[in-house]
Amino acid sequence: MAREELQLVQGTLDILVLKSLSWGPRHGYGIARWIRDTTDAALQVEDRALYVSLHRMEERGWLECEWHTTENNRTAKYYRMTNEGRQQLVVKTETWSRYADAVFKILQTA
Amino acid sequence: MTDQRGARRWFRLPSSLSRVHREVSDEIAFHLDNRVGELIEAGMGPDEARAQASREFGDVGAACEDLESIGRRRMRRERRANWWSDFRRDLAFGLRAALRAPLFSLLAILTLALGIGANAAIFAVAKPVLLDPLPYPAQERLVRVYARSPEGGERWGLTAGMADEIMRAQRGFTAMALFAAHPSEIVVGDAGGARVANGTWVQPGYFDVLGVAPTIGRTFTAEDFPGGPLEDLPSVVTVLTHAAWQRYAAGARDIVGRDIVVNGIPRTVLGVLPRGFVGPSGDVDFYFPLNIAPTLADPVRVRRSHWLGMIGRMAGSTTLASAQQETAAVAAQLAQRHPEDFKDIGTQVMPLREAMVGDTRGPLVVLLASAALVLLIACSNLSGALLSRVLARRKEFGVRSAIGAGRGRLARQLLTESLVLAGAGGIAGVALAALLLAFARDIAATTLPYFADVALDGGTMLAIMLLTLLTGLLVGALPALAIARGDPQRALGDSTRGSSESPRSRRLRGALVAGQIALCLSLVVSAGLLGRSLWNMSTAPSGFDSSGLVTATVKLPYASYSTPQAVVAYHEAVSERLRALPGVDAVASATELPRGVGNQNSFVIDGRPWGAGESDPWALWTNVSDEYFALLRIPLRAGRPFDARDHADAPPTIIINEGMARRFWPAGDALGARIRIGPDREAPLHEVIGIVGDVRNDAARTEAQAMTYASIRQSPEGVLSFLVRGRSDPQGLLPVVERAVAAHDPGAPLRRAAMLDAVLSEGLADRRLPVMLMVGFGALALLLASVGVYAMFASMATARQHEFGVRMALGANRAAIAALVLRQGGIWMATGLAAGCAGVVAIAWLLRDLLFEVDPFDPATLLAAMLLLTMSGVLASLPPVRRATRVDPAVALHAQ
Repeated sequence: MAREELQLVQGTLDILVLKSLSWGPRHGYGIARWIRDTTDAALQVEDRALYVSLHRMEERGWLECEWHTTENNRTAKYYRMTNEGRQQLVVKTETWSRYADAVFKILQTA
Repeated sequence: MTDQRGARRWFRLPSSLSRVHREVSDEIAFHLDNRVGELIEAGMGPDEARAQASREFGDVGAACEDLESIGRRRMRRERRANWWSDFRRDLAFGLRAALRAPLFSLLAILTLALGIGANAAIFAVAKPVLLDPLPYPAQERLVRVYARSPEGGERWGLTAGMADEIMRAQRGFTAMALFAAHPSEIVVGDAGGARVANGTWVQPGYFDVLGVAPTIGRTFTAEDFPGGPLEDLPSVVTVLTHAAWQRYAAGARDIVGRDIVVNGIPRTVLGVLPRGFVGPSGDVDFYFPLNIAPTLADPVRVRRSHWLGMIGRMAGSTTLASAQQETAAVAAQLAQRHPEDFKDIGTQVMPLREAMVGDTRGPLVVLLASAALVLLIACSNLSGALLSRVLARRKEFGVRSAIGAGRGRLARQLLTESLVLAGAGGIAGVALAALLLAFARDIAATTLPYFADVALDGGTMLAIMLLTLLTGLLVGALPALAIARGDPQRALGDSTRGSSESPRSRRLRGALVAGQIALCLSLVVSAGLLGRSLWNMSTAPSGFDSSGLVTATVKLPYASYSTPQAVVAYHEAVSERLRALPGVDAVASATELPRGVGNQNSFVIDGRPWGAGESDPWALWTNVSDEYFALLRIPLRAGRPFDARDHADAPPTIIINEGMARRFWPAGDALGARIRIGPDREAPLHEVIGIVGDVRNDAARTEAQAMTYASIRQSPEGVLSFLVRGRSDPQGLLPVVERAVAAHDPGAPLRRAAMLDAVLSEGLADRRLPVMLMVGFGALALLLASVGVYAMFASMATARQHEFGVRMALGANRAAIAALVLRQGGIWMATGLAAGCAGVVAIAWLLRDLLFEVDPFDPATLLAAMLLLTMSGVLASLPPVRRATRVDPAVALHAQ
């Protein structure tokens, strides 16, 4: 049961991560903070799952990464969307919206 | 965009596993540190903040594992992809390089094809003999038990007495069975169309020991009326091999229960053996049940007739050594009880495989080694040539190096190129091997063990593929090493002037040529030694004159020729018929043709002490007609030949050879002596009436073996060979004789009609094949080594062309230039010859058993081989040396 929830979260997580990178490269911590800030911490995302999602998408070629030095002189791994990642975002967003619409319609018929 | 200082290239992959680990740790540490900082800023205590951040993150250790395993997987996949894309690039590049120099590539492929083809063909022949298991279940548990003695050798037949004792006493075998050690010739069919086939007698358990079940019907059981090979107690049942079923019963499904006439007696077929089954008894068509009870009851034959073979299946805990011990203990006991029969007779337990492979192992190992040497020469030859090509392609490599190819990459590319050549050579080699085998199959069939099936099967193909791969690596190793250790960048710089070989690569090429000459010398010497052995064997005086003799051998069916009178009558009638043929000068007959008389009998000299713990001496045995010695021109040394006085009812007489007379009657009183033939102490005494010249019975033995001749009238036998000398055209006489013999009694099938010379030459076939192959290998090696020598001198001359031009401009004459080149190359040739002498020592050791009347270190052969090699070396060096001396100084200097 727990596994299935994780899977569900992860699929969703991929979209959130891709979306967060649509404004430019970010490091993992930055993405986590963006998600928390944007959703007003309504979504509880475990950081471990976030990083797994990042590395998986990197492996699939949706993301690429580079190491930069940050303002306070530490090196951090920055992720950037590839063209393939951008297409994935479009596709996934559309699928997700249709799904949400459908669920919403059912809920409204009560 | 965020900060770009210190940016690495996008796409950069972690290059090692430790790096994967470090990057994951850094990334997670960065995340945690930032979160903790943020929480502290929001007013939390440091410890609390750390705990909170950690809780939000989840299991850090597990996260590290997850991320690292993703990273590792990525890295491996990427590396593999890189390797393949590099390989494909190199392959394409190698193919282009090969096509750019088509002549060179063609020669290289041809060289490798010869080398690989020779190896493939020899391997295909050797594999079934040396490697493949015998076609019986759990064949490694099967052994053959022999008797051994100083007289009978290590593979002597067992006596029924000893075999019986062993079977009673043994504990280490799950099953054992006896069979007649040698198959017998039998006559199949009746007067309507009789044919000669091979049959043997086996105990009912024989097929169970081997683990072979019949495809149709059944094999023997203890109830089947069993007989013995002497036909005094004929068996009335038989089991057929698959081949015999096809040949004599046209593969009829309802064969079981039907009768087939063998030796004139109808026998009921019980079953048919699986296709391709061959037993330890040899190439046999018919099996009959064996009963040794009559032999056991015979007071003489029981302990004196060595005619049985024995196989056994070892129990799980039995080893070869313990089986040997067990049987030897039985033999030792028997020797105590019956010293007059069993003194010095032990046992020899041998894996069945080894027993069936026989004497072919030695020549095959020699041939395998020789083929490998030829391939090694081909490899080193090609390696040298590729080395020169690397030097010629220095610019190309320099450029590639300049645009970022590492030395390792360049070396790998060279290896790929040589693998391309080897692959092409391997394919051509397989085609060549298939061709060779098609020719060799028939010749090889007579010399290989009868179970060996020569073919380019899966195992052989796999071996060839491995060999090809190894060849490619071997050929490419030296050039690749040269490029990996050299400095390709410098080549780009200095290539504006000259292309003089570096001293090191010159030394390398020299050493390669020296190695080729050394290997070649070993091969040529072995070919020479084997050739001389064969020559000695075929030219050594045989003791008789076989030229122009026609022979025809018949096998008389036992049923119609069961009495001596019937056989003698047949013999006289056919001899008369042959003598009456036009063009026939003389006719003789014998039970066995000269060379290859297989029958031996023990004998006792009348009046000399009997037994006394000594075993009886042995002599070869054959029965001949009155005219035999005159016809074969075997000289009579003393006494008289057989004549009408030696008729069936007269006192038995015998003629012996000189060697026997000298050995057993050193005082010269052989004539008139009387001997008893065979193990039976009550056997009649034969008087020695004549002494004849020695006949070399075994081509591979020099000393004359003791030989006895009896009159065919006094001891007739069921196999008869007629010898006919014509006035002219012996070849034309052959079919005439054949027809005449066949016409006399169609029920007595003609086994063979041929020229005696042809029969004798066949006896040497198994000796001739290795010699022919070795000579072929030697010639191939000589050719390859000569090409190597030529190439060495040629590249040397080209490399120093500029220098020679300068020297000539300064006044050096042609002789001085030639001397310069010859000295440089000559040193390597001399080194090779010296090293080759060392190789000859190894070869001589391998060959020692195959030689006849030649010393393994025969100086004449060695000298001749060295001379041959030197001559071909000089010949090969002439064109390049000539070219070096013809350099026009002006041209050479301008060419730069």
